[in-house]
Amino acid sequence: MDASSSGIQEPFDLIRLSLSERVFVKLRGDRELTGVLHAYDGHMNLILSDVEETIMIVDQVEGAPEGHATVNVAKRKMEMLFVRGDGVILVSPPSRT
Amino acid sequence: MDSLIPFTTSGSLVDCVDRKMLVVLRDGRKLQGVLRSYDQFANLVLEDTVERIYHQDVFAEAWRGLFLIRGENVVLLGEIDLDQEDEVPLRQVEWTVLEPYHKQDVANKKKREDVKSQVLYEQKGFCKEGGEGDGY
Amino acid sequence: MLIFSVFKTLTDQTVSVELKNDLSITGTLKSVDQFLNIRLDNIKVQDEARHPHMMAVKNCFIRGSVVRYVQLPAEHVDTQLLEDATRRETAVQKR
Repeated sequence: MDASSSGIQEPFDLIRLSLSERVFVKLRGDRELTGVLHAYDGHMNLILSDVEETIMIVDQVEGAPEGHATVNVAKRKMEMLFVRGDGVILVSPPSRT
Repeated sequence: MDSLIPFTTSGSLVDCVDRKMLVVLRDGRKLQGVLRSYDQFANLVLEDTVERIYHQDVFAEAWRGLFLIRGENVVLLGEIDLDQEDEVPLRQVEWTVLEPYHKQDVANKKKREDVKSQVLYEQKGFCKEGGEGDGY
Repeated sequence: MLIFSVFKTLTDQTVSVELKNDLSITGTLKSVDQFLNIRLDNIKVQDEARHPHMMAVKNCFIRGSVVRYVQLPAEHVDTQLLEDATRRETAVQKR
């Protein structure tokens, strides 16, 4: 993907290319989303549809305080979602695995 | 026809004045008092304020008096329905009795959150949700 | 202003606001302001037992900065219109 030829000048131009496409969003705390991007603004507020949310759950093992905790996930679907920009870490095309 | 609601902070809060309100603060405190004044930043004046702590099906209150609350610390403002308030199925006890339980709850929650955010940072690349004083 | 405009068109609809502390409140959107502070009427709190302080509350004002998500009624959102408006709004900002 040659960025210079498609007139991408700043990071928001990249997001602009993803309008009406599925994107992956990583949020602060413990959440990830995939959804179809319909709107965004300069604060990184987003409006997504057909959203699948992945919530990270940490199982804390009482026995070993500094031991390894396992991370499990819970998923949730939502039809139409506004996401507040101050919680967004990153927005990207969905991973191709 | 409904009149055009002014889509302003003031417009949202105007009918809350002189009403008993619940205020939840960013540090997790729950205050109840009469809203006397506010401004566009959601700074609030709360009169006859009590602070409430909860533990399981029990609560306690402590008198706090007159508050000027800086808007950035406010999580939410709730209009208390005075009829529903009588139906709330919680028992009231003395503040000094409940306070240690409440403090323990707060400390446990913080510890869980700290461990969780550390694990998620190391394993999954997440950073912390809130900053200092976000205990709500 | 885009998102503010979207919320203005959704007044009197039922929405679910999820706060950053995992508290979820469903209610009728009565008002919104430029900071995306939200006024909800006739609220129902999810998992009420975990939030006993909300039991006697019917209406509330939620500060925009503590919101994580707002679930919107899909049938009242015109996604094509949104995308066009977003393209216009972000194009203007470049000048």
